[in-house]
Amino acid sequence: MRSTSRDFVRPNRFLAMGMAIVIVFTGLTARLWDLQLVNGGHYRDLAEQNRVLRLPVEAERGTIVDRNGKVLARNLPGFAVTVIPVDLPRAKQAALSQTLGVLVGREASDVSKAIDVQRARNPYEPVKISLRPVARDVALLLSERGELFPGVRVEAESIRHYEDAVLYSPLLGYVGPVTEEEFAAYREKGYLQTDLIGRTGLESVYEEYLRGGYGWREIERDASQREIKQLAYSPPTVGNSVVLTIDDRLQKLIEGELKKGVDEDKFTQAVGIAMNPQNGEILAMYSNPGYDNNWFINGITPDQMKQLNGDDRRPLVNKAIGDIYPPGSTFKMVTGLSALNEGVASRGTVVNVNSMILNVGGYLFYDWRVHGPVDFVNGFAHSSDIYFYTLGGGNPNTGQRGVGPEAIYKYGSELGFGNKTGIDLPGEAAGIMPSPEWKVRTFDEEWTIGNTYHEAIGQGFVAVTPLQLLNAYAIVANGGTFYQPHLLKEVVSQQGQVVFTQKPKVVREVSITKDNLALLRESARRVVTIGHANMPKAKLPIAGKTGTAEFGISAGKDSAGRNKLGFHNWFVSFLPKADNTDPTAEIAMVIFTFDSSRSLCNNCYNPAVEMTQKVLEAYVLGKP
Amino acid sequence: MSVGAISIRRTSSPLHDRPHARRLDQVDPYLLIATLLLIAYGLVMTYAVTVESRTLTGDPMQYVIRGALWASIGLAVMVAVAMFDYAWLGTFAPLLFLLTLGLLGIVLVIGVSSLGAQRSVNFAGMSFQFSEVAKVLMIVVLAKFFADRIDKIGSPITIGLGLAILAPAFALVYRQPDLGTSLVFVAIFFGMAFMAGARLWQLVGMVAIAGASFPIIWGLLKPYQQSRLTAFTNPYADPQGAGWNIIQSLIAVGSGGPTGKGLTAGTQSPLGYLPIAESDFVFAGLAEDLGFVGAVILFALFILLLMAALRIAFRARDSFGMLLACGVVAMLLFQILVNVGMAISLMPVTGIPLPFISHGGSSLVSICFALGVLQSVSMRRAGPELG
Repeated sequence: MRSTSRDFVRPNRFLAMGMAIVIVFTGLTARLWDLQLVNGGHYRDLAEQNRVLRLPVEAERGTIVDRNGKVLARNLPGFAVTVIPVDLPRAKQAALSQTLGVLVGREASDVSKAIDVQRARNPYEPVKISLRPVARDVALLLSERGELFPGVRVEAESIRHYEDAVLYSPLLGYVGPVTEEEFAAYREKGYLQTDLIGRTGLESVYEEYLRGGYGWREIERDASQREIKQLAYSPPTVGNSVVLTIDDRLQKLIEGELKKGVDEDKFTQAVGIAMNPQNGEILAMYSNPGYDNNWFINGITPDQMKQLNGDDRRPLVNKAIGDIYPPGSTFKMVTGLSALNEGVASRGTVVNVNSMILNVGGYLFYDWRVHGPVDFVNGFAHSSDIYFYTLGGGNPNTGQRGVGPEAIYKYGSELGFGNKTGIDLPGEAAGIMPSPEWKVRTFDEEWTIGNTYHEAIGQGFVAVTPLQLLNAYAIVANGGTFYQPHLLKEVVSQQGQVVFTQKPKVVREVSITKDNLALLRESARRVVTIGHANMPKAKLPIAGKTGTAEFGISAGKDSAGRNKLGFHNWFVSFLPKADNTDPTAEIAMVIFTFDSSRSLCNNCYNPAVEMTQKVLEAYVLGKP
Repeated sequence: MSVGAISIRRTSSPLHDRPHARRLDQVDPYLLIATLLLIAYGLVMTYAVTVESRTLTGDPMQYVIRGALWASIGLAVMVAVAMFDYAWLGTFAPLLFLLTLGLLGIVLVIGVSSLGAQRSVNFAGMSFQFSEVAKVLMIVVLAKFFADRIDKIGSPITIGLGLAILAPAFALVYRQPDLGTSLVFVAIFFGMAFMAGARLWQLVGMVAIAGASFPIIWGLLKPYQQSRLTAFTNPYADPQGAGWNIIQSLIAVGSGGPTGKGLTAGTQSPLGYLPIAESDFVFAGLAEDLGFVGAVILFALFILLLMAALRIAFRARDSFGMLLACGVVAMLLFQILVNVGMAISLMPVTGIPLPFISHGGSSLVSICFALGVLQSVSMRRAGPELG
């Protein structure tokens, strides 16, 4: 028989073992209770966050088109590389930054820093790594080998592209990334750090219209960041199209003339603007030199930046609105209208210009020729300086009364000088419309009669932007209404609905009588028919006024070796329907050339006149 | 009436004729039911975490089919083992000891490397984890050793010799390296020594010495083992690296909530957020799909199984049978604690399978073998009438 002794069974130890079992499972259950019942919701959210990624779907930016629908700014398809920091292990960040840096052409340290910044801000949001669109093969490599590039995503992105970039860059500006400093403010408006915004020009002014609304898509992803399936999709709203008042045909006609002049070194810079005097629509605005705004889209290179900054003509400035110049004889319009409207002069006011020199108290003021006795129309048509010295400052020798600087300041200001026109472009200059009070304030000196004389013929302190000058003549041409110049015609949604129409905005009606404005228009027409803005074989009844402002330096060369010849030539024109008096002109134009050579001005031949005739005839008569 | 006429007849029960014979009516029903339910549960979970997986390749049903095959083999082994008297295991204990070391040695020599460790041997197109077999064999060897020395259990020599038996197997598994499984060996040893009646101060002393030498042990650990331990203390220090497994497992478990997302409806394991979802982290998948309820049902089955095993130990006919059962209890309890504990961040990450639930033929068949031994112990237990 076997032993029946059961001493080997120790009940206490069995009890202990049983207790151990109970304790183990009680402990495990308690922990599960906490995880699943108490904090289940929290972990459920985390699981969703793991699994579901909500990605923004970029909305295409609206196009910018001219008044006839010609596209000036469009979008081309491309790829952007972004990183979602939360999906990138810190330990792998350095190596990944190195690889990505090579692929997108950036320094590894910059890439890593960008990721760090985003990690601190919101690690769940993507940060854009590619500064410019990446090639398709790079995009494919990154997206197909997702496991090698943790946190990296490749998204389709559209690239802004400007047609006729140099031609329209002064107007359109360009888009660029939001800077770190700006981002806080933009974030509240629903922007992402990867967004491009209009940095300058119309891209910036009409950002609100052009930018689309983000769509989003929710994807289910696995642990290797591969997309399993799309769970939900909300389409983006494409940005609205901005229709400009610009007529591409006219813009190119102006470019054709002015660019040729600059290329042939006849002048170093040139501006041409055309507007409809009846509503303030800008039909063309050309500023040479311009720049290629696509450079900024593709990531401007140091060489390109150097080229732009090294050009002392400052290509980034839109000369049509951003720089100020002496208006020269074109300003006689203001002197003349001031004298007429204040009753100091009339159509019949005659000044006998029997000398090229007006001597006032030993100071000599010159005219460009001996005109003989001239009335208002002839004085304006032949651009007699002494006639307008007299109308402005009077002649102490003959006792003829002038209208004085305060009146010139008043009417000059009414016509828009010395203030921004309020055109829908950034970077507009106000110009200078001087007054005696202004001189005291600025130079702490009393105004002299010489100041009045100089001002009367557009020299001296007065300084204008080409747009201001054009706008003042447009007021004359339309019979006295100051319409705010504008480039926006309308805003059209992607579905073709007009979202917004820019109505003509009247700034003011000037206090100059209709008769006086008509007289000025008649005189301006005479400038072409009998004055020195001679237009051979004219096909249109163009009216206008020349101006030649001398600058201090009339020799030497600029940074690019171009001749600096010290003459600015203006021709401001408008096109009445009938011979002279109708305030129905539908186009007014200013052509301004900078640093023109004196030889162009033989017999006061002004290159702007010929260019104006060519452009207007081609535009108006060649209308399709 | 003669004395001779009064024949005191022994009861004619076969049991009494062959006291060691099996008694089918003594099969432990609780152990059997728990075993069958747990095997079924394991197959369901294998299906749940593999069929929708985005990270596994091949036929989606292959894991379930293979699991069912192994379960059949396991059940056959269990029945077969139960038919024999477990006493023969004792007879062959020295051979089994050599077999254990042999199997573990083979792994080191011709084993297949996977994830930086050499833990399995490929044979006939299948992968065998000999350490799973070795654990069960070690239970038999230690049970025989302690049973033989049950009268001298209090002697330090007994404990020392026991450790000497344990040491080579421990070292071989540790070399694979498989720290987790080598600790299972330690747990088996302590559980059996404790149940055999070893003096508490000796056991506590050994734990104290191990604790005191922790800095030395730490230095011996491989860097990945160290990082697992540091990640365990603070997984969020490196959420994308060493802490990833732990965090993802916690998310899976927690997101299951009270009743789970539904079988196969979980997202953490099919989408690959849970590494080795069909094995090491199978509990996280279970808790995600079936929630607190599913986990508690699993625990209930485990408790049923362990308590049944403990009862078999208590009622075993001899110390060898008792210690066999206790070794199995210690092994299973430790593995459950470590595997589930790992999934819910109560334990560091180790590659210990969850009994029955983790997909793996070697583990399942080894456990079935052990449970077959337990049924053998149960069927040959001391009847109450033999007191």
